[in-house]
Amino acid sequence: MSDIRPWGQPGTAQPAATPLDLTPSRPVYDGKLSELYGIYLRHLTLMVLTLGWSRFWGRTRLRRYLWNHVSILGDRFEYSGRGIELMIGFVLVLVVLGVWAGLMWLVWEFVFQAHAIPGFGFLNLFYLSIVFIGIPLAFVGQYAGMRYRLSRTRWRGIRCGMVGSAWTYGGLATLLTMANAVTAQLLTPFVSVNLARPRISHTFFGTQRFDFAGNAGDVYGRFLGYYFINIAVWIVAIGIAVTAVIVGGMQLGFTGEEVQRLFTTPSLRTVLLLIAAAVVLYIVFGLMILPLRCWWQAYLLRYLVARTRAGNVLFASAISTRQMWGFLVLNYLIVVLTLGLGWPWVMHRTLRLIARALWIYGAPQGEAIGQPPQRAPRFGEGLLDMFDVTGF
Amino acid sequence: MAAPARYYDGKVALAREVAVRPAGHELLILDAADSSVVARWPASELVVLGDTGHEKAPPIARRGEEARLVVEDAELRRQLAQVLPPLAALALPRPAALPRIALFGATLAAALGLFWLAVDLGSDYAAPYVPYDLQRHLGESVAEGLVGEQTLCKGRAGLAAINGLAQRLAKAAGYPHPVTVRIVKGGPLNAFTLPGGVLVFYSDLIDFARDGDELAGVLAHEIGHVAHYHAIKGLARQFGVEQLLKSMTGGFSDLGTVGAGGSLLLALQNGRAYERDADATAVALLEKLGLRADGVSRFFERLLEKQPMDAAAAIGIWSSHPPTADRIAATRRPPTGAPAFSEAEWAALRSVCGPKDPPRPPARPAPKPSAPLPPTNRL
Repeated sequence: MSDIRPWGQPGTAQPAATPLDLTPSRPVYDGKLSELYGIYLRHLTLMVLTLGWSRFWGRTRLRRYLWNHVSILGDRFEYSGRGIELMIGFVLVLVVLGVWAGLMWLVWEFVFQAHAIPGFGFLNLFYLSIVFIGIPLAFVGQYAGMRYRLSRTRWRGIRCGMVGSAWTYGGLATLLTMANAVTAQLLTPFVSVNLARPRISHTFFGTQRFDFAGNAGDVYGRFLGYYFINIAVWIVAIGIAVTAVIVGGMQLGFTGEEVQRLFTTPSLRTVLLLIAAAVVLYIVFGLMILPLRCWWQAYLLRYLVARTRAGNVLFASAISTRQMWGFLVLNYLIVVLTLGLGWPWVMHRTLRLIARALWIYGAPQGEAIGQPPQRAPRFGEGLLDMFDVTGF
Repeated sequence: MAAPARYYDGKVALAREVAVRPAGHELLILDAADSSVVARWPASELVVLGDTGHEKAPPIARRGEEARLVVEDAELRRQLAQVLPPLAALALPRPAALPRIALFGATLAAALGLFWLAVDLGSDYAAPYVPYDLQRHLGESVAEGLVGEQTLCKGRAGLAAINGLAQRLAKAAGYPHPVTVRIVKGGPLNAFTLPGGVLVFYSDLIDFARDGDELAGVLAHEIGHVAHYHAIKGLARQFGVEQLLKSMTGGFSDLGTVGAGGSLLLALQNGRAYERDADATAVALLEKLGLRADGVSRFFERLLEKQPMDAAAAIGIWSSHPPTADRIAATRRPPTGAPAFSEAEWAALRSVCGPKDPPRPPARPAPKPSAPLPPTNRL
């Protein structure tokens, strides 16, 4: 990013006597993939033996490894969370869901039983209600999980923390996401910036608060460009795909009757052809649409990082579209194609990416930053675990 | 000995370059620049936070305090560990990665193998001992989900006829619980068995059967599934495979999709063995009751004529039905024995969904390709 400017907001100006220290540095990650795999395979083995109940401890071990192998300005991070905290968080959410199921049972018993709808059983009601509360709860869990992880993170002996209500964030996120959905995603910059704001500006390193000065208006121009180019590309991609299928079908000598039979009684040839068509479609769409998306996501991330500040420390990200492709697309493919065995590789890649693309300008004024006054949460990220928003 | 380490006092976010010096029963932490004493930690209160397997440089703390001492230099860590027993953990060698990967990789493979074996044997041997009430409840709820919105046929005499034969066959098979047959109006041309002896027949199948013995053949086949507890075994197996995948993927949601495909394949694989068992039991049961047992093979023969492009035969793994030609050969029996249904019973069955005009059903369109397999045993 070339357009980093010192902050000019009134009231936050530096004392005139000290010149602004903007020495650039990057985080250092010195983990080894082989060591990470050693920890991960042990974790997987225990998962199988304990039917998944060891995951809280396994996750904690992985975090300890990752945190301690990242350092900023020569000081390593320390992760002090414990597996039991994660497990208690999970059990608490189980209990809450149990209570919810009880409530739904009462609703079922006294409301729906009277005017029974055929084919709509108690379980249907329960799952439907979970879908309804699940989306807000996933956001609440995301926020609460971040708070937990920050509270268990130390740097230079000082704990991090997060203020603000996870429920407020969950409500805001649900509203914005729904509004975005009904406006055909045209609110995306507004939603992204306004959800980044509470996440960043409620974060503390000790007593030092992070500030976020983003404004959706700054990124709207690029977003609209992306939005309409994206639509155009979809049309072109679908055109190519349809042409390919029709031309391909004629080349292979399909008659109309055969095409009709194709869908009623599939043969081996049909199935193979359909698989081939799906692969072609995937490649066409992947090549045309995903890079565009990565371009936008990289731009948005650079913007959000550049508008973030912690006291006199400024941040910038140099993440390129290609790096975003590696992060979003390749990482996804690695995990899916290796049936999950590639997960440590993805974590390793992600931390290397952060170490490569995050720039930190200046150093915190350590003597002015003490331990955070907020009380840390006692239990961990149960909701996050329940609603399957995987993070590390 | 004095080499630099970093000290954080736990009060402010400052890193201080320090030298450490073990002195008697305490650890002296001295400022690296002017050698002034920064902290004195009693040896008995020293703790190492973390371990060399997970932390590159495990922090040292005084028990209960927020201050931290981080020694980056491995040699200094080794020396400290030698002099101060509470810091012994600092000198533990960092575990070599490759042997660990080999060890845990092999253990993981073995654990997965054992788990699979447990699922395989458990579903076969333990599943029938699931309490009957629970099996029945499962069967009823699955039936509700599958055919809940379709019309059930109510012809009393027809239902009595098919249920009567079903009970006789089940009794002959040694199945100790009652079975219930439900007839759903319409298609596909199919029948299936659910846990707890719940059978579902589609009326298209009854229309397609040329006589009572063909229908009895299909019924005996389904009773074969019941007697072997195939439905509950299949459910148990699917549940086990799901648990296995879940524990392996650590709940990574996108893998669920891939996993579902895998467990479907396994279920189908299993399904074919079940079909052969049910076929064999079907003819044995009919013969035991002195009934005509050629209905099974005749029905399959006509089914094969009707559906020559058998997807299962073409692809081999696509369906839970074994290739139909094999099944015909394996179930062929001479046309001897008593008819399974009386003339009156057969007539009642043909009109179980309401009156029928022609004795022979008109040609129907080809049945839809079968939907993804529900946890049941189809025809």
